[in-house]
This record gives sequence, structure tokens and C-alpha cells, in this order.
Amino acid sequence: MNTFWSRLYSWADERVKLGGLVEYMGKKYVPVNRHSIWYYFGGVSLFLFIIQVVTGILLLLYYKSGELLAFESIQFIMAKVRFGWLIRSLHSWTANLFVLTAMIHMFSVFFGKAYRKPRGITWITGMVMFFLALGFGFSGYLLPWNELAFFATKVGTDIAGAVPIVGKPMMVFLRGGEDVTGATLSRFFGFHVALLPGIFTVFLGIHLLLVQRQGMSEPLSHGDSPDTERKTMPFFPNFLLRDMLFWLMVLNLLAILAVFFPWELGKKADAFASAPAGIKPEWYFLFMFQTLKYIPGKILFIDGEVLGILVFGLAGFLWLMVPFWDRKSSRGETNRLINYVGIFVVFYMIILTIVGWIV
Amino acid sequence: MNRTTRIMFGLLMLAFSSAGFAGADDKCLTCHESIGGKAVDLFKRDVHHAKGISCAGCHGGNAQSDDMEKAMDPKAGYIGVPKGDDISRVCAKCHGDSGRMKQYSSHLPTNQIENLRASVHGKLSTNGKERIVQCTTCHDAHGIVPVKNPGSPVYPLNIVKKCTQCHANAALMRTYNPSLPVDQLDKYRTSVHGMRNAKGDAKVAECASCHGSHDILSVKDTKSSVYPTNIPSTCAHCHSKAEYMKEYKIPTDQFDKFSRSVHGVALLQKHDLGAPACNSCHGNHAATPPGVQSVSKVCGTCHALNADLFSSSPHKKAFDDRKLPECETCHGNHEIIVATNKLLGVTSEAVCSRCHNESQNVKGFATAKAMRGLIDSLESREKRAIALVNEAEQKGMEISEAKYKLRDAHQARLESRTMVHSFNEARFQDVVNKGIVVSASVSEEATQALDEYVFRRVGLGLATLAITVLAISLYVYIRRLERHQAMGGK
Repeated sequence: MNTFWSRLYSWADERVKLGGLVEYMGKKYVPVNRHSIWYYFGGVSLFLFIIQVVTGILLLLYYKSGELLAFESIQFIMAKVRFGWLIRSLHSWTANLFVLTAMIHMFSVFFGKAYRKPRGITWITGMVMFFLALGFGFSGYLLPWNELAFFATKVGTDIAGAVPIVGKPMMVFLRGGEDVTGATLSRFFGFHVALLPGIFTVFLGIHLLLVQRQGMSEPLSHGDSPDTERKTMPFFPNFLLRDMLFWLMVLNLLAILAVFFPWELGKKADAFASAPAGIKPEWYFLFMFQTLKYIPGKILFIDGEVLGILVFGLAGFLWLMVPFWDRKSSRGETNRLINYVGIFVVFYMIILTIVGWIV
Repeated sequence: MNRTTRIMFGLLMLAFSSAGFAGADDKCLTCHESIGGKAVDLFKRDVHHAKGISCAGCHGGNAQSDDMEKAMDPKAGYIGVPKGDDISRVCAKCHGDSGRMKQYSSHLPTNQIENLRASVHGKLSTNGKERIVQCTTCHDAHGIVPVKNPGSPVYPLNIVKKCTQCHANAALMRTYNPSLPVDQLDKYRTSVHGMRNAKGDAKVAECASCHGSHDILSVKDTKSSVYPTNIPSTCAHCHSKAEYMKEYKIPTDQFDKFSRSVHGVALLQKHDLGAPACNSCHGNHAATPPGVQSVSKVCGTCHALNADLFSSSPHKKAFDDRKLPECETCHGNHEIIVATNKLLGVTSEAVCSRCHNESQNVKGFATAKAMRGLIDSLESREKRAIALVNEAEQKGMEISEAKYKLRDAHQARLESRTMVHSFNEARFQDVVNKGIVVSASVSEEATQALDEYVFRRVGLGLATLAITVLAISLYVYIRRLERHQAMGGK
């Protein structure tokens, strides 16, 4: 057996010079500390993204875009295609878990100040991917063309339309017209399966390359320890095998969710029907949605909703730019303000999400 | 007033006074009597005159003055002959004032004018200046007598004539409501009510009995006494009063029965305006009980297929020969209950068994028995299919297509109930079989979905087992590897 693998390696090495890469991998080490658990969330996000791609491609074999066929094709996938229900449920559940793990990964990087120099670009690429993931969620949500998705998209694009100056043209661009119609569905389908994956792949490539080049960041408190006291483990195979162990557990969790809580399809969208009561966006947009509901109609001379969107926009921009304004962390100094901001954001999101879910 | 007129007026006043015509102070009547005219003659019989109200009560002016200029001086409130809405306004001066009405010891309600204004007649006429109907339109101006007085134009025996003065005038009605029929009087005269009314029976229903008097509302108005959901209680106003109806020797339990019937529940409880009210079967203006021959025609206006099937069935001749009312014989009349499968067959509850048994009308007995077996079979298969679909749906299985097909099974069962009226076993079986085939197909799909449900759980169990074994193996491998690495191995 060993002979077979050795011969295969030699065969590949002769052609693509694997030696350098193997040598590099062999020298790559991952820090071991009490925060190491958070390192796995980047990997598991990647794993979930891969599942998304695979299940997405499988769904594409049967999914038909267009307001006349979209709902029926999903119905067909769920009822008639062998394991279609599993693929669709996996795709939907994975999408949610992907956003969740990406969010955990983002906050772990934020609290660990891992975005500090020299990892600013890594943080930016990660954040862009996170925003793209939200875009994936928003565009994919409409594709089954059911009642909830239809009205959630209507509300979501209405909110986008409230942005000053660029809002209206952006809303028309997203909808493919003034209203949510079959044209919107076609666009969202295009965004979901071509545009967003294309852009995402580029950023994912840069992100992974940077992570490999720069290695895993260590917490600031470890910076003072001498190299001899720093515990590490080889990336290959130790860390990769642990990663795989985590992936297996996640895969099992996904299977359980898909079997016990198959993703519902609901009723077909009807533009002439009234919006169902208690319509809500996906959970990861809920804190923003709930906030906009609490903002008064008018604050001074500004429309409350517009102000809310602008504040969220500004907050998002500041969050994205944190490597550039948190100079202290880059200098290796403790910055408590960052911790307070992070804790506030986490609690704000959790509380508003729960309130939005219950109310 | 010139001199000659003054002299003539003076002489006339003298003549009237000497004849004792004038009331103590009513100089208006004194003078106008001398002039003569229908109005004065009528007014002397008027209930208002009897109560001591003078002409000035309506026309204004000074009734105590024998000087015509003073008596008819606008400064003294003289308004002449009121026109348009002023007519009703004049009447309402007293009839809308309970204090004044008490002075004349009247117990008449004082809301007539409000009711009239809110009524369909209270709407503006085509000229847009006045209301369609004023008090005098129905009660006349002079010679008004109490409603109970046979001389009153609104006395039950006269009111039909009064209403149809306008309502039978096509040219007039066209200006207000071109779609409103003008044949109510003709129809009414053919009705039981109309015929009795023509013979002098003041107790039977006339226009106001059903439509009201001052407060007449459009039939489309939900508050109208003739709005479909209100019709049964309007009819019951007389027809449920045993004492009132005693002399007519007809039952008075129709309303109670109707309220319990499938039609009554639909109309009165579910407010289904498609359900029949009394007038749907009996007619409204031409109200009369449908004859034996016409029962199926009456029911057939809604239940058209059933009526057609029955007419072409062997039962048609049998019923006609025995003079049996067609639908009513099996379903009843006012208390028609929901037609369930129990009506069909040869059990004691089944209506077929009233004429068909093992020794009498045997062919029908066999057909009824077979038909009941078929429809019971369809119903039980449909129920099973529904139960399986519900179970599969409850378990989260995608079963919408099978659920949609269930409609066909339900439709077949409805069709079979209609097809019963053909009393033809072969035709009935064709329809039932359609439903049975659909139910079987739905049951099969639902069963497959339930099997799939089990398969998914078993599959998950196996997958979990495999993943767990793999994960444990991986964990053991990692531990072993790290132990090996810790010992300095490669």
C-alpha cells in the first residue's frame, strides 16, 4: 500500500513539484492556547461553504427559475427527486449555520484583535465574505418563490430603497423594476448562483492565501512570552485532523436538522394576496429589522428609517475599518474600548434578535 | 284687496257665521268654506280638524283674523301651500315634537320624519332639490284620518293602491330606479295575501307589512326588513303567531323548522346570501305555497342537476302517479336537514325504505342497498386517504400533490350524491368509482410518504452511527499520533 502512495506521490511530484509545498506545510504550526477553540470556526465555515456549493449545484439540476416554475420545481425536488428533500434541507440549514459560524469566527477575530497588523487585509476580505454571505442568504431566500420569501424580499428591498440618494435606483436595480416580480426572481437567481459565488471565490482565495502566509494570530497577551514557552501544534496533520473531527460533528448535526426539521416550503407567492401576519426576515437580519421598528417615524427633520439605515451603514463601515482605527492593538497594547464595543454589539444583536423573534 | 272684494269677503264671512260653520276661532275655514273647494270638505273630516288644529297649523298666518290680508300676512307666518321638502317640515313641526303631540293626546311615534329621511324614499329626487316622497304623498294633504280608519289611503286595504300609484308607473319609476320591477301589484293580486286583501281581509300582509312604512330601506340594505337574512323573521312576524294565524288554519312552526334546516343554518347563522329565504321558494310579491307539480321546479332553480336527474328517472312517473311532491317527499320542506348517506339505502333511517322493502318494490330495494354500499365505500376510502395525508403532512412530509388530488375524491363524492337522483345504479357506480380510484391513489402516495418518513429516520440512524464510528476512529488516531509525536517519533 505504502508503495502505491509513494509511487503516486513521485508521479505527481515529477510533474507539479510537490516537494516545496509539502515542505512548507510541514513547517506550518498553529498556536495552542486557551482560545484555540475559536480557530476551528474559520475551517468549519469553509466546510459549510463547500457543502453549500455541492448541494447548490445538485439543486441546480432540478431548480427552474421564473415565477411560474420556481415554486413547483422546489415542490418537485422535495417530493419526487430521490433525496431531493435532503439536499434542499441541507442547503437551507447549512446556509444558516454558515452565517452563524462565520459570525462566531468574525467575533472571535474581533475580540482576539487578530485583525491587527499585518492581518488588516485578511480581516477586510473576511468581512467582505461575510457581507456576501448575507447577500447569499437574502438572494437565496427568494428562490423558492413562496409567500414568506416574497414579502420578506419586498420589505428588505423597501428598506434598501430608503437609503438616501442611491436607495431608489438600488431598489429598482435589485427588483428589476418597481415591484417584486418574476424579474426580481431572475435577478436574485443570477446573483445567487453566478455573481456572488464568483466574487466570493476570489475573496476566499485571497483570504485563505493570506491565512496560510501569515499563519494563525495569537492573542495579545501571548505576545510577551518567549518563543520557547509558546505551545504549538503542526497544521498538518494535527490541526487538519481536528478540523475534520469538528466537520464530522457538524455534518451529523446537519443531517439531524435535515431529517427532523425539513425546511418548509410554505405557500406559493401571490402578489395580489395580503402580506401574512408577523412577517419577519431571516434571523441574521432580525436585529436590524427590529431596531428599525423601534425608531420613531421622524427624528428632528430626518426620517426615522433613513436615520436607522445610515447608522447601521456607518456602524458596518466602522466595523469593517477596525484594523485602521484601532492603532493601540496594532502596537500590541491592550484596547479595552474594542472589548466594550464588541460586547455591546454582541448583546445588542442577541437581545434584539430574541425580541424580534418573540414579538 | 280692492273694495268689491272686501265687501264680498265680508258678506261671505257673515253668511258662514250665520250658518254656524266656522269653529270658534278658525276664520280660515269660515272664509274658505264660503269659497268652496275640495280641500275644505276634506279638511272637515281630517283628524287634525277634529283635534282643533286650524288651517294655519300647516299654512301659517293668523286664523283669528277675518281680515284676509292680516290672516294671510307672511309677517304672521303665512307660508301658503308648502312645496317640496317644506311639506314634511311642516308636518314635523308637530309630528317630530313629542311635547306638542302630547298636547293633542297623541301617542303616535315622533320619529317618522327621521325614519323617512333615512329611508329609500328620503333620498333626493331626480331634480336634486327635494326628497322623493313627502308625508302627503301617502297620507294625502287634507282629509287625513288615522291609519286604522278604512278611509285612510294607508289603511291595509288601501295601501297597495297607494304604493302602486308610483310603483306600478313604469315611466315614473324609470326616473328613479329603472331596474326596479313595476309588476308588484299584478303579482300581489295572484298571491294568497293579495287575494285575501282584495276580499277585504285587512290582516294579511300588504306592502307595509314587509317593507315597513316610514323606514323603508333598499332590499340591498342589511338593515332592511326584506334583506335576505331578515326575511324569515319578517315573515315570522305574522306566520309564527299562533293566535294571529288561527283563523287561517296553517301551521305556525315554519320559522322554527326553517331555522334548524340546512338552508336556515346557512342563511341565518353563516349569513350565506346564496341560501334560500322564504321568498326564494314561495315568491315574494306573489307569495303562495308551491303546488305538488312545481316543487321540483322550485328546488330545481338552485339544485338544477338533481332536478334534471330526477325528472329523467323512473321515480318521476311513480311520484306523479301518486301525486307526491317530488323533492319534498324525501327531503321535507321547511326543515330540510343535511343530506347524509343515511338517507339512502334500506335501513330504517333511509327514506328509500318508506316505499321499498324486501317484499314490495324489490328492484328499487336492491338498487338502494347497492347504492348505499357504494357511497359508504367511497366515503370510508376518502376518510382513510385524508387521515393518511394528514399524518404524512403532520410528520413534515411534502405531500401537497396528493392533498390536491383529494379534491377530486371529494368532488366525486359530491357528484355521487347528485347522481343518487338518477336512481340508476350503473351511472351511480361510474361516479363512485372515479372517487374510489382517486382515493386509492392518494392513499398510496401518502403511505409512500410515511414509509419515506421511516426510511429517513433509519437512514439518519445509520449515518449517525457511521459518522460516530469515523469520528471516534479519528479521535483515537489523533491521540495516538500526538502521543507518538510527544515521544519524539515522526
